[in-house]
Amino acid sequence: MAVQDNIAAIPAEATRRAARPGWMRIFHSRTAVVGLCLVLFWVIAALLAPILPLPSPTDSDVMAMTNPYPSAAHWLGTDVLGRDVLSRLIFGARTVLSVAPLSVAVAMLVGITMGMIAGYYGGWIDVLISRFSDIILAFPVLVIYVILIANIGPSVLNIVIATTIASAPGIGRITRGLVLGLKEQEYIAAAKLRAESTLYIMIVELLPNCRSLLIVDACLRIGYTIITIGILGFLGLGLPPPNPDWGGMVKESVTVLNVWPHMSLIPSFALVSLVLGFNLLADGMREAWKP
Amino acid sequence: MNIIASKLQGAAMSITPSTDREPVLDIAKLRIEFRGKSETVVAIPELSFKVMPGESYGLVGESGCGKSTTAMAIMGYLGNTGVVAGGSIRFNGKELVNASARELRSIRGRQIAMVYQDPMSALNPVKTIGAQLAEVPLLHMGASKKDAMAMAEAMLADVRLPDPGDMLRRYPHQLSGGQQQRVVIAMALLAKPSLLLLDEPTTGLDVTVEAAVIDLIAELRQRYSTSLLFISHNLGLIAESCDRLGIMYSGEMVEEGLTGEVFRGPKHPYTRGLIDCIPDVTGDKRSRTLAAIPGSIPLPQERPQGCLFGPRCSSFAAGLCDRPDLALEHVADGHLVRCVRWQEIPAAEVMVAGVETGTVARSTAVSLIDVNRLYPVGYQKTVKANEAVTFDAATAEIVALVGESGCGKSTLARIVTGLDKATSGEIRMAGENLAELQASKRPRSLLQQVQMIFQNPDSTLNPSHPAAFSIRRSIKKFGIRKGKAEIEQRVRELLEMVRLSPAVADRKPSQLSGGQKQRIAIARAFAAEPSLIVADEPVSALDVSVQAAVVTLLLDIQREKHATMLFISHDLALVRHVADKVVVMYLGKIMEQGTVEEVFGEGAHPYTEALLSAIRSPHPDEAPRERVRLSGETPSPINVPAGCRFSTRCHRKLGTICDTVPPPLRQISGTHEILCHIDEAELAARPSVLAVDRKA
Repeated sequence: MAVQDNIAAIPAEATRRAARPGWMRIFHSRTAVVGLCLVLFWVIAALLAPILPLPSPTDSDVMAMTNPYPSAAHWLGTDVLGRDVLSRLIFGARTVLSVAPLSVAVAMLVGITMGMIAGYYGGWIDVLISRFSDIILAFPVLVIYVILIANIGPSVLNIVIATTIASAPGIGRITRGLVLGLKEQEYIAAAKLRAESTLYIMIVELLPNCRSLLIVDACLRIGYTIITIGILGFLGLGLPPPNPDWGGMVKESVTVLNVWPHMSLIPSFALVSLVLGFNLLADGMREAWKP
Repeated sequence: MNIIASKLQGAAMSITPSTDREPVLDIAKLRIEFRGKSETVVAIPELSFKVMPGESYGLVGESGCGKSTTAMAIMGYLGNTGVVAGGSIRFNGKELVNASARELRSIRGRQIAMVYQDPMSALNPVKTIGAQLAEVPLLHMGASKKDAMAMAEAMLADVRLPDPGDMLRRYPHQLSGGQQQRVVIAMALLAKPSLLLLDEPTTGLDVTVEAAVIDLIAELRQRYSTSLLFISHNLGLIAESCDRLGIMYSGEMVEEGLTGEVFRGPKHPYTRGLIDCIPDVTGDKRSRTLAAIPGSIPLPQERPQGCLFGPRCSSFAAGLCDRPDLALEHVADGHLVRCVRWQEIPAAEVMVAGVETGTVARSTAVSLIDVNRLYPVGYQKTVKANEAVTFDAATAEIVALVGESGCGKSTLARIVTGLDKATSGEIRMAGENLAELQASKRPRSLLQQVQMIFQNPDSTLNPSHPAAFSIRRSIKKFGIRKGKAEIEQRVRELLEMVRLSPAVADRKPSQLSGGQKQRIAIARAFAAEPSLIVADEPVSALDVSVQAAVVTLLLDIQREKHATMLFISHDLALVRHVADKVVVMYLGKIMEQGTVEEVFGEGAHPYTEALLSAIRSPHPDEAPRERVRLSGETPSPINVPAGCRFSTRCHRKLGTICDTVPPPLRQISGTHEILCHIDEAELAARPSVLAVDRKA
């Protein structure tokens, strides 16, 4: 009887910031909006590529080879083989925007699993996973890529495998750190006391609380992976020709940089804009979701 | 030599300052706003008060009432978003609002000094204590390096730190929390400031250490004739150490006056509620239940119109209390109250009668026999978190485990619930030995029997899931109800049991207040229908007004469900109100156990005496009682004393026998045991430290 009702006092929803990502909140961050626009530009272009009135990215226009500069027929000009640069750029975006997120997704899956197990169990399992990760992290990433791709040949699958090996340890480390802090929380103890399985605790109780940081990290990693794919293309280890590939485009025309600079500069700028977009988006999300 | 018995009673010891002098601090119509990107939060709408020379002024209120913001505004540290939007802060006649950085620099540290809540963050970890202290005279008084060091050393002696010369060469991490706070106080006093701000100076400290620090502040204040602005949520502390006080509620001053007057005749309903909801160590649950203030403090954005306390006030009158222009009214000279109905509200409400707990013949629900928990640390060292812990709890009984931090009470809680396991010993419950069974090894039926209520409302619920998520899971996992509709029905019943609206079920924990989260945690623990509840400091993180409500609720449910409860707390006054049986622990060992009456009555262990005597009572009229003050602090659990654990701090030490020989267990009565070298007759003959006061 001494205790009275407490119903009246429920704070309004907007006043307290939630720890989990609120998707709408990223629109409050100008950085995130600019990043999102850059990314969306390329995503939409890539999606619409087949229906846009573009010349084929692989067909040579022999007439344009003598004058490859931008014209009414070829808005961004053609490359050394007379292929339309704009078309190759947009079709190239399709490859970049499918291979990079796919590789990161696979890397996240592997990395989160490693980090979750290492952080939650601790002890020798943690030592084993952490040392293994350290060894991989100590290798120059590019060397790993070159060794792998040079040995098993360039293809989408191989790029995915190479990226996973290179980025999973980093993701694992982030997850491990988060889990180390979260597993001491009282709600985890409460879950143990109601006989929840370890897998359940990891997926339902821990993972959602790692979400916002991991999404930010994934976004940054997609940016880095796009650069990596570009580098691999430039080294001739990218997707086999005649697939349009931004790194490959730069490589094919870098020898004529002094004569026809647009051929290598335009794909370089495209790469920069997309990577910048992902980085800004990541920064903006981090800012918006700050606890 | 170990005893410092002081007969000081703060309110009585100082002279009332003359009012015709200029105030040291004069805050008038102060308005503080925090301007964020999207919204502006008014932390303090309008605040006025004065601190006279030599006076000690207490600012009391619960979290979020703006008392620390006020202190920060005085120091000019409102951060990037905080703005003084109006009013003035005058210090010795000089305006501080919008003063230049240079002017502020000459005042801060030199004339106004501040002692913060967390001493560790106030000290620079890479500099020695001496270097940090000497900075003050070097910067503010232009002293030479040698003089500065000498002054620092003298000041360390003044704050009663042992071996000040050696202390100068130490680093902050080599000191204990109490010692660090003494260093911070020394640093604040070095410049001989005319105003000292104390922002919750003892909140992080153990009670026995807190008592010593408060005594020190009172003593230094007299010696240096510094004015004090003492900020605290602890009414007992304020009652004892302040001449005047202001009660703040949601950024407003609701009552102001001389300490004695306010405590003797509180006029504002909030002040009354606040005084009533503090458990009093001299009364137990049979004599009085705690009165709780319903609801919680409104957020700054949601202040009601008129009286801010209106929605929680039982004497609220529509049309009168919700007028927007409520001013402070004069009750008497210097006693102000912001309540239009202060004359109408009855002076003393009839105290609710206590509950009768019938002592029926009880069977033992759980018994702990010789439980030990050792943690190996480093090379050949062990921390003895629990040693030979033996006690039992009867069905539907509440056993309180009390002790200061590091006494092993939380470790014991984790062992009983299975979050940790004992190194050796037995915990017998329902015919099984739980001591070495961790939660993952316990059968589901056993897990269901023992549930836990945790300490921290902010981490007790998963922020990613709705509030009722874990209640639902618990019902499902233990098969209390089957089927979705049945489970939902049960969730509603449980929420009703903890007096929450069913709408709370789908809210995210971040949208709930601390008290609401703790209620959900209670509902979750009882959802499993356990026979033993382990409550680890379930209300220590809550504000006093909310604390009383949650404790009363917990007791009501416990009684109704006939669950046995292990109630862990450092708050002895609260324990007196809650427990049937009390177990006092020190450094992993049980020092004393017995029924509440026995432990709080005559014949107690010296450590229990010290704990009881450290409690501050919010009754300024009480006869001054002799206080037992412990010197030093709890030794590290790695190097426990060879004989009696308490011998290094004991005020009734017999001699070397205490240092070398482990004390015997003295059986005072069938239920009362004391671990001490002093013999039974002498222990039993000693009157209770509480008995001296309140002769009425």
